[in-house]
Amino acid sequence: METVGGLLRRFIGAAGLLLATAAAPAVADETCMSPFMPKITGQEDYVYVWTLGVEGMGDGSDKLVTVDVRPGSATYGKVIASASVGSRNEAHHGGFTDDRRYFWTSGLDTSRIFVFDIHTDPARPKLERTIEDFVEASGGVVGPHGAYALPGRMLMSGLSNAKDGGGRTALVEYTNDGRFLAAHWMPTAEDPRGAEIESVADGYGYDQRVLPRKNALLTSSFTGKSNYMRDFGEMLKDPEAMKQFGQTVVLWDFHERKPRKVFHVPGAPLEIRWAWGPTHDYAFTTTALTSKIWLIHLDTDGEWKAKAVADVGNPSDIPLPVDISLSADDRTLFVDTFMDGKVRVFDVGDPHAPKQIYEETIGKQVNMVSQSWDGRRVYFTTSLLANWDKKGADNDQFIKGYDWDGKRLHHRFTIDFNAEKLGRPHIMRLGAASLYAN
Amino acid sequence: MRALVLATLAAAACLHMAPAFADPGHHPGGFDYDPPEPGTYRLPPLAPAADGTALDETGAVRGLHDLMAGRVTVLGFIYTRCGDVCPLGTLMMRDLHEATAADAGLAAGVRLVTMSFDPGYDTPEVMAAQARALRAPGGADWQFLTARGRPELEEVLAAYDQRVLRKADPDDPGGPLAHQLRVYLIDGERRIRNIYSLDFLDPRLVLADIRTLMLEDAARH
Repeated sequence: METVGGLLRRFIGAAGLLLATAAAPAVADETCMSPFMPKITGQEDYVYVWTLGVEGMGDGSDKLVTVDVRPGSATYGKVIASASVGSRNEAHHGGFTDDRRYFWTSGLDTSRIFVFDIHTDPARPKLERTIEDFVEASGGVVGPHGAYALPGRMLMSGLSNAKDGGGRTALVEYTNDGRFLAAHWMPTAEDPRGAEIESVADGYGYDQRVLPRKNALLTSSFTGKSNYMRDFGEMLKDPEAMKQFGQTVVLWDFHERKPRKVFHVPGAPLEIRWAWGPTHDYAFTTTALTSKIWLIHLDTDGEWKAKAVADVGNPSDIPLPVDISLSADDRTLFVDTFMDGKVRVFDVGDPHAPKQIYEETIGKQVNMVSQSWDGRRVYFTTSLLANWDKKGADNDQFIKGYDWDGKRLHHRFTIDFNAEKLGRPHIMRLGAASLYAN
Repeated sequence: MRALVLATLAAAACLHMAPAFADPGHHPGGFDYDPPEPGTYRLPPLAPAADGTALDETGAVRGLHDLMAGRVTVLGFIYTRCGDVCPLGTLMMRDLHEATAADAGLAAGVRLVTMSFDPGYDTPEVMAAQARALRAPGGADWQFLTARGRPELEEVLAAYDQRVLRKADPDDPGGPLAHQLRVYLIDGERRIRNIYSLDFLDPRLVLADIRTLMLEDAARH
């Protein structure tokens, strides 16, 4: 029986690395947070893990799991709370509001958004409300993905649409109290909305990140519901399905919410990370199928440009780069690759020429990576999508905590989410009780 | 404590020596982009702007809704002992005020409101000192308010989602209170149309938003 990796290699080889992709969701850490919220610059107390329920495991529902990471705590490295939403929704990504009091999490299948109260008891978040109107209010956007904090509002990226379940989608804005504000559809060749198109404009979405001092918003592109809810192996055998992957990064005028330029970034560019330095006018993304690090940068001629700057592993092996994490000093980029379960660390001090400086196998599969603001602690989780995760003995489902000394990782704890009957751990966010102490 | 107030005012005074914000080549606060053209984008209403009462710099009781009537209002919450984000926010408000002084339409159609959430220290007299140091001649009306008391303050802060926490160290050099800087753009119908954090409090941007609301109002009438 052919492996998923073999299928991937065969398909992409046959297609000549066409612009199709198989991708992989990811996100999140203290250094990737919206710039509009308070940061935990010291030791975090908790890691909140948005976890996809598995039928027949525990209550089978999606849940927000709290892991205690307080050094010296009797429950360090243990699960100390779990808040179930009572249903399975393809739990995936989420983010805090700008005041960091609420954690918005979303389900890619049902398009529900679950809002957890974090501030009342930071060790034990509680589900406060569920937003059910995402598809209807937005005019047909499906698959709420990243939740990005703006002052008093949340900017949600969609992954799909209700019309055909494909990848064309929009950004959707809500107020912090859950009232729909606006939908901003991604530019397409038919409707560029004033954007300059470098080569193609697919209209797909995935991540969204703002650089306020440049009034710049970047969005990336993945695939629609018809693919992300499909069995991974089956999808790989379907050439038509494999054409339905994103190949663009869009630069927007953030304040006006207007697309300005559509870059051609083949291979499903996923996570976007703006550099933090006050003169660092660039962002990184990685492409899932083509296994490259891309740099979106303001060139010396005053134009924003995109270019591939490094390979991640051997692209012909299709390691599937998924989540990335940029250190607060802009010098170190962690890149997780799902298929080989590895993290690779790059020195990106010269963003035009990243150099790999470290590599470690985290598990049989790995998806998300989150690092603390001081860069000393790094956490990993495993799940990509329910129907894309590996099967059988390869279906590792855990959170692992490590220390990072600048050269290598030192393992601190592992929580096996299969053994704990919790489900498939996905996005992580860091919490601290001191944020809410009065 | 008095020294902190003076430091804030001194920082404000320094602004007068900075390049004029009206200079199109000047990008205040590190903002590095051309501001948007007013009226070319939407500012969807976020929520009704809450009412509440406060004391002005003379000690008179003022209603927030009364102050918002018929003008575009820019409302910001600060405290004068702040050594962190408030002075920067105040400087941006000062820039904005200076711009209104150069435009009769703005001077007549805009009101700035700076309200303290530290009434124990920020008495009407302290706010009056702020006003004297910051107001530009001929600029839009700029009110400097403080709370009448704790219950009235809590009501206003809750309505505007303005979180204020006491720091563990009351002698923290950044000031005794922790908060996020939030500044609200409110239209003549008392609806919040935008919220700015320090990252967005570019006076050129706020000015474009104000003019967008004024154009919208003019088109309606």
